Amino acid sequence: MTIATTEFAGLAKDTALSQGVADGCFVTVSHPMGMIPLADIKEKAEKAFPQILKAAIEWKPVAKLPPQKPVYPAGRLEFKGTVEDINRQLYASGFSLGLPVIPPTPESVAAMLKGTNRKPDEVLGMVPPRMGALTVELVAIHAVMAGCKPEYMPVLIAALEGLLDPKANWRGATTTTATSAFLVIANGPIVDRIGIASRQGAAGSSHHANASIGYAVNLIAEIVGGSRPPSPDKSTLGGPADFVCWIFGENEDALPKGWEPFHVDRGFNRSDSVVTVMGIYPPVDNIDHWSVTPEEHINWWAHLVTPLLSIGGPAWITQMDQPHIVGLGPEHAQLLAGAGLNKDQFRKAFWEKARIPFSAWPKGSPNTDLLIRRFGPVKPETPIPITFKPEDFLIVIAGGSGKHSHFFAPFPGCFPVSRLVRK
Amino acid sequence: MKMCRIWQKLVIFLLIPIFLAIPVTPLSEEGGQRWEVLNPEGVIKIEPMKINPHPSTLEGKTVLLRWNGKHNGDKFLDRVGELLAQKVKGIKIIKSWEVAPETVDPISGSQERSIELMKKLAAFKPDLVIGSQAD
Repeated sequence: MTIATTEFAGLAKDTALSQGVADGCFVTVSHPMGMIPLADIKEKAEKAFPQILKAAIEWKPVAKLPPQKPVYPAGRLEFKGTVEDINRQLYASGFSLGLPVIPPTPESVAAMLKGTNRKPDEVLGMVPPRMGALTVELVAIHAVMAGCKPEYMPVLIAALEGLLDPKANWRGATTTTATSAFLVIANGPIVDRIGIASRQGAAGSSHHANASIGYAVNLIAEIVGGSRPPSPDKSTLGGPADFVCWIFGENEDALPKGWEPFHVDRGFNRSDSVVTVMGIYPPVDNIDHWSVTPEEHINWWAHLVTPLLSIGGPAWITQMDQPHIVGLGPEHAQLLAGAGLNKDQFRKAFWEKARIPFSAWPKGSPNTDLLIRRFGPVKPETPIPITFKPEDFLIVIAGGSGKHSHFFAPFPGCFPVSRLVRK
Repeated sequence: MKMCRIWQKLVIFLLIPIFLAIPVTPLSEEGGQRWEVLNPEGVIKIEPMKINPHPSTLEGKTVLLRWNGKHNGDKFLDRVGELLAQKVKGIKIIKSWEVAPETVDPISGSQERSIELMKKLAAFKPDLVIGSQAD
């Protein structure tokens, strides 16, 4: 039996359905349960108790799942009117995010499929929370809608394969109340070959490959995965990365001497083309125009990330076991490398400095007990690290000139997943 | 004048293949274009999961209260546990956060971790699990 509030009962039922439970046993109580006094929560329990007792002994499963249809080929839809009309109709049917799309005609999808050697009926996986079967044909449909070129298909497929890995926790990142989004980082020859931006303003506008691949990823998440607000996408506010996800190539040309690219750190060869994905919170911009020594810069890093309780381990302890991505701007990287620091020395120094006093955690957080178990007896001033180990600070050279770097904290349960780009 | 006609013929001759290459889109009675597009939704593929029926009585049974770490969920379940103990003879209440505190933290974690947690909780052999979802 699951007890959920009125605001979250829909998500609970959708989640159960996506796991194969057509009619779980649910008891709904008025929203909210969190952040209310003890007397109020007890009253809610007492009010719901007769219903809980009844459901405990009387509930029986009755409903069955709807019959399953073949996943390939995609069905065909007919519309009449102008491009504007078809966009309105697609939006009304739940088949767009509200931004314009290019109608995926059979001809344009066939042309898009020429960008990959994968067979159109291949199923890459089921996209949560709706559990829509994602065929290569379906990827091509969304690639057309997003304006991709056929040569982008291998990168798009690699990104989706990464997100479909259970370690990526696609479900969590797209159904949470948080302003979470996907991050896609490309490495290797594919970056320049298809024009993925990796230098000035790489994650921003005016880069066709980034924009259309990032748009296609989110079209698939919302339409095939069904994660749309207000439910099952429960984002309290949401953000523009719900339209086009964070996507850029590592600026490998700006790697300091002796520093390996991100994908090499992750076990690939330098000549491999690799895509890495991760569910993230909005990044923190490290604005540092002033440091002239690594010590100053690392000190600034540490103070920037530690007070922001939503960006790392402090929010949920699960994040303390997860990699965080440090998107170092080339100028900040040069400051560190110029003084002789390698990646490991930087990450260790940063990690050792980035501490939060135990007293920062709200008393209601379950993390306090868990932290005590992990770190032993603690005092209010005991410094707690952002992650349990320094190796979980992953370093990527991100962007072009300027005194900015970015810190991408993972959404709970979302681990980075890397996939080779294959035609 | 003659030269001009030759040029006109040449231009028309060159344009014919271009016109032939443009697909003719049938127009409806209202003059709107007819579109055939592929459905972008995709088909739902779910493996059914069997849920055990609930016991017909809670007397003498074991009920496990499962908290996912969200604020006040434990307080809510605490009160439910108290009321169950008052109303039902011989009921045994197990609180997940007391017997298996490591199952509290993976909020919003992966499905793999959820399965791992469920296995840990199933080891207590409850007849019924009541979970609090919050927020």
